[in-house]
Amino acid sequence: MKIEIIDEDEFNIRFILYDAPIAFANSFRRAMKSLVPVMAVDYIDVYLNSSYLFDEILAHRIGLIPIKTDLSRFNMQNECVCGGEGCPSCQISFRLNVEGPKVVYSGDFVSDDEEIKPVYDNIPIVELFKGQQLMIEAVARLGIGKEHSKFQPVSICAYKIVPEIKIKENCNDCKACVEACPRNVLDSKDSKDGKIIVKDVLNCSLCMECVKVCEEIAIEITETNNYLFTVEGIGQLPIKEVMTKALEILKSKAEEMNKLIEEIV
Amino acid sequence: MEGEQEREGRPHTGDQMFPVRCFTCGAVIAHKWEEYQDKINSGKSPKEALDELGIKRYCCRRMFLTYKSIIKELSRLQGAVG
Repeated sequence: MKIEIIDEDEFNIRFILYDAPIAFANSFRRAMKSLVPVMAVDYIDVYLNSSYLFDEILAHRIGLIPIKTDLSRFNMQNECVCGGEGCPSCQISFRLNVEGPKVVYSGDFVSDDEEIKPVYDNIPIVELFKGQQLMIEAVARLGIGKEHSKFQPVSICAYKIVPEIKIKENCNDCKACVEACPRNVLDSKDSKDGKIIVKDVLNCSLCMECVKVCEEIAIEITETNNYLFTVEGIGQLPIKEVMTKALEILKSKAEEMNKLIEEIV
Repeated sequence: MEGEQEREGRPHTGDQMFPVRCFTCGAVIAHKWEEYQDKINSGKSPKEALDELGIKRYCCRRMFLTYKSIIKELSRLQGAVG
């Protein structure tokens, strides 16, 4: 198994996972989406709210704000030394004390810790008009995507099989397949003597239109054990950390399974 | 409706209560809302504005295109309930 990164920026990454069983590719995807812990506000105390929105709507909106996470400093609440009661090593609180007229942004939250703060400062939460006031204490904790989608470290996380497209020798260069392909995978312009070549195999969606249209049956598409992953992070964790953490979690789960099987046999 | 005129800063465009995340894919979109409003107000078409902001998927794009502020309706009911 090997991972090759095709392109990446701050929030997006595309990589190919080579020679892996499809079950592993899928469990990798699921681990990234639902097992990597990140922080989100899960509990708020509303001391004063005279805005036009109900407390519950505010709580929901505040909960969805992504918060920068440092996994080395925080524990999951159920594994923490405090036994789930809440202590500085498993939760962090934000205070909000504003008076209108003003638009309240996510950046207005005052954090206990300078490093743990909302990823974006300009998410509008509520608009306060003259005389309206808001006093809120929000408590963030670690959680996993299985519990609530606000704890997901990635938004888009998907893979597809990278196919192998073979053009056999009995091809008569009729170019019907080039026109049939909706994703411009095949081309004949770049090659000498007008032969059809595979230009962009990663773009292929395995729709098989080219196979259907080929009268000579000269195109053969087979699935390989390589997968093209497209992952888009939300920003709580760097996307590469999400990947390594997901693999660590998968490994520990597999080891646990091994132990269980050894006990039975 | 009281207090609406006293608000400072940008004109009242209903620029709050915009969904924090896309309903379908879960990507955060609200941080781009005000920039989108500015682009629309400067005469750009929604297509240009969304392309410039880098919002590619149609699930996230429809969040911008179909949003309607209801804070004015809510302000009329203030005091009537609760």
